Amino acid sequence: MKLLEYIKDRIPVYVAKTVEVFVIITFLIAFKVKSQAIIVVTFVFVMTFLFVEIWEYMRKREFYNTLKKSLEELDKKYLLPELIEYPDFYEGKIYIDTLRECDKSMTEHVADYRRQNKDFREYIEMWVHEAKIPVASLRLMCHNSDKPETKMTAQIKRIDDYIENVLYYARSENAERDYVIKEVSIKKIFGSVAVKNREILQILDAQIKTTGLDVMVLTDGKWLEFIIGQLMANSIKYCSEDRQLMLEVWADNLDKCVIFHFKDNGKGIIKEDIPYIFEKTFTGHNGRGNKSSTGMGLYISKKLCSKLGHRIEVISEYGEYTEVRIIFAKNDFYKME
Amino acid sequence: MSKILIVEDDRTLCEELSVLLEKAGYTVGKIEVFDNVHLQMKKSDADLILLDINLPGENGEVILQKYRKISDTPIIMLTSSAEDIDEVLSMSYGADDYITKPYNPTILLLRITAVLKRSQKTGQTQMYNDIQVNLASGSISGNGKEQILTKNEMIIFGLLLDNKGEIVSRDEMMTVLWDNDEYLNDNALSVNISRLRTKLSELGIGDAIETRKKQGYLLK
Repeated sequence: MKLLEYIKDRIPVYVAKTVEVFVIITFLIAFKVKSQAIIVVTFVFVMTFLFVEIWEYMRKREFYNTLKKSLEELDKKYLLPELIEYPDFYEGKIYIDTLRECDKSMTEHVADYRRQNKDFREYIEMWVHEAKIPVASLRLMCHNSDKPETKMTAQIKRIDDYIENVLYYARSENAERDYVIKEVSIKKIFGSVAVKNREILQILDAQIKTTGLDVMVLTDGKWLEFIIGQLMANSIKYCSEDRQLMLEVWADNLDKCVIFHFKDNGKGIIKEDIPYIFEKTFTGHNGRGNKSSTGMGLYISKKLCSKLGHRIEVISEYGEYTEVRIIFAKNDFYKME
Repeated sequence: MSKILIVEDDRTLCEELSVLLEKAGYTVGKIEVFDNVHLQMKKSDADLILLDINLPGENGEVILQKYRKISDTPIIMLTSSAEDIDEVLSMSYGADDYITKPYNPTILLLRITAVLKRSQKTGQTQMYNDIQVNLASGSISGNGKEQILTKNEMIIFGLLLDNKGEIVSRDEMMTVLWDNDEYLNDNALSVNISRLRTKLSELGIGDAIETRKKQGYLLK
């Protein structure tokens, strides 16, 4: 609270008081009161007023300064009314009561949305479980059929992928922590992604080189499998037409962290697109003219990564390669956060 | 042949699973009524149980816990849940393996064989006619000679041996190889098979692996 601003605010009061003093003095002179008495009366009057004014200023200043300071220090500003001490002057009381009332209404509002969100997510989870049962049946029917149904199997895989996308989108958008962080072998996770995509990789006659994947990282296995699955899907979708697809996958086990590299020799990403590739529904240069580009895969992956505390980066040269890195913090590092 | 019990409430899926398992030569049992499942499981006298998690009435994990108190028959959990927590829980309650829907049929069969082998404690050595196959050290010996097989060759030979007298398709071979982190392409598979044949002919059984056009390979 600034003194000058406060005084400016009080000018009408001061003007009124000054007029009042002059009127009284005029009356006193008119009643022929002795000049000493006039001086004493004026002095007492002015001093009392000044004293009250300073006291008023001080207690307001204390209240508003604490308020401002608390507000600046808080990272969640809406918690302010809960924190501030109840003031001892009337205006302050009204002020805080109003804030608290607003806060309460807002909290209820947010809680309502949170509940709706949770319900929706639970429904999605349930729906995914249910949708997977007929998909599993279809998959087995294709296998059990007398002639190989590779075409159907490929379409079933697509349906399954879309179902997974919905599930992980719901998970990434939700504030709840429902993952399990434990030691997971990158080799095992990459292996299951590779097996899931084996048919298409073989049709493309892809070459896969893996080195040093026998590393344990702290993550949620299912989430990581989804993320690597997205990287794989992108490499397959944006492979170069004039050369054989080659995937190089390796992991660097460093002191503080593990870096997982996933590199392909596909179309690459143009420089202008790189800053935006993790943004929702961004399809960019490569996505144009490709109907299956939704711009969701990397967006969801990034969100999942940041929830799990991993970093994800993309390096690419257009027409040459794309390399995605996922950086996993190690145990002590993880605890420090 | 081993008996497998399927505990799955979705009729169609259950039906398809039993077709798959019967084709692979197993005897299949099913559960129709879902109460006191653990007692029915015990009564069925199966060698292996496939247990779904989302069941009407009691949850698969609860059934697993109850069942483990009365029997230690191997159990593979089948589930459509994509949460790590379910896997961690199931394994800690004593499941032998955990597979999520929709499963790759070849891998499912593979896991079943693996779990059965583990529970029957078949040794690391198997015999093929007069040839001794040592899976652990990756060597085959017979007629006074020994050949060392690479990991890939061993996987292929092991698979053919497990399905002796039956055709194994290239697709199945690929699935198994990829499941073992060996990401071969089509050419590489052919190279591996011809190398395996050369090594077998050193032992005097060069014609053991037969090629069936457009179908796969067969170990006589």
